[in-house]
Amino acid sequence: MKLPRKRLWSVTALTAGVLVVGAGTAGLIATHGHTSTVRLASRPSTVPAPTSPEFSPVPNQTAQPPGGLSGVAQPALPVKLTIPSIGVRTSLIHLGLQANGSLQVPGSTTVAGWYTGSPRPGAVGGAVIAGHVDNYHGPAVFYWLRDLKPGDKVYVTRADGTIAVFSVTRVQEYPKAAFPTSVVYGPAPDAELRLITCGGTFDSTTGHYLSNVIAYATLVQ
Amino acid sequence: MFRYSAAMTLLGGLVALVTAVAPAASASASTTGSASASVGWVRCAHLSPNTPAVDVYMYAFGTTSNPTILRHVSYGNVSDYMAVKPGQYTVAMRAAGAPSASKPVLSNSFSISAGKSYTIAGVGPANGLRLQAFDDQLTAPAGKSLVRVIQASLKEHNVTVSYGSDVLANKLAFASATNYQAIEAGSGMVKFSSSGSDTSAPVELSADTVHTIVVLDGANGLKVDTLTDAAGSQVAPAGAAQTGFGGTAPRPVSPAPWLLTMAAGALLALAGFASLRRTRSGRTGAAR
Repeated sequence: MKLPRKRLWSVTALTAGVLVVGAGTAGLIATHGHTSTVRLASRPSTVPAPTSPEFSPVPNQTAQPPGGLSGVAQPALPVKLTIPSIGVRTSLIHLGLQANGSLQVPGSTTVAGWYTGSPRPGAVGGAVIAGHVDNYHGPAVFYWLRDLKPGDKVYVTRADGTIAVFSVTRVQEYPKAAFPTSVVYGPAPDAELRLITCGGTFDSTTGHYLSNVIAYATLVQ
Repeated sequence: MFRYSAAMTLLGGLVALVTAVAPAASASASTTGSASASVGWVRCAHLSPNTPAVDVYMYAFGTTSNPTILRHVSYGNVSDYMAVKPGQYTVAMRAAGAPSASKPVLSNSFSISAGKSYTIAGVGPANGLRLQAFDDQLTAPAGKSLVRVIQASLKEHNVTVSYGSDVLANKLAFASATNYQAIEAGSGMVKFSSSGSDTSAPVELSADTVHTIVVLDGANGLKVDTLTDAAGSQVAPAGAAQTGFGGTAPRPVSPAPWLLTMAAGALLALAGFASLRRTRSGRTGAAR
């Protein structure tokens, strides 16, 4: 009777061991077997484009006509940002530089800010607007920025009620270690907009994302 | 022996599976970007004092379809820059309102390079009108203003332009341009000297900005238009922007518990298998 009992133990151990390996493999596949980034399921509903007396939503088929002499008169300060396709409608605060020389970011995660060292939106050059991708718990104002598509419209309302309309040309993600400073803050001959937020992998040791997502847009109206 | 090799095959397969899954799990998908935008920029100007208004057509070289059209461009008008794909283009001028299929008054071909900007202007007197491309600059030296002068006055054939102690143009002839020069940024008066008299006009020349001062015939004497050729941020912030707190970041889950489970299972299976082998060989020995 001694031998069969030992044999039973052996078979049970072998079987159980194989099952545990199988279960471990299944668990590993279930938790790590997909590489797609986890995104929240619900997208915000789109918001309407802003309107002003000066604003006509009919696109101009030819290029913008020469508006007389294109002097250096400054457009008014930006006060509001609307991106209908990703549900962004926010006031714009002013951002400067931090003590270490990096871009100040909004203290609130529900508003975006215009970098005051960049050209005003609608003026010649690349105006820079930054916003958070998320807070500690969930999405923030620029959470859906990475989903912008070329041709999506971006509206910047200015203090005098006029609206600058931009069209997205591209969205790119860059490792922060290789931030394209000269592209984002460098000169441009036309009126452009750069919308900046975070993306990529989150480094929980530093509390920062490892990449920036930047949407580029050019003035169409 | 069959069972032994079967068990080894099973274990080997599992190990292979683990090594296959683990790297796939740690790789992160990241790039959103399309190809980087490579465009050139063109603006059009009418700088011929005695030429009536024109319509400007810009065609991709060798085509007559889908031109970009600037309508009713008259003397002194300068368009905003338009971003275009690099390549050859034909620019044609027709009298304002003339049919698009009519023979242009003037046309010329230009090559547009990626990352460069150009001013394509109708220059000269009406009876010697020509289309000319000026190469524009994008970058000013840090903290400075980069300035050039285009002389488009027919009333005055030579104009000297100065700003403070800087002479921007010295007896510049009609229908020509100076090179750019870097000067101290600020606002002040720009002075024009010509055969007749000296005049001046206020200008604002911003730091880190490229300007073109265009000298034009005014109703009385000369007038000036200051164009912005390119501008960027006054100060480029250092590095990247910290715009997230991680609330929506995918939480990296450690694969260690699963790997440990698999290792423990493998050990248990091996122990059972080894024990089984011992009992089997023991029984075989006893029966002999």
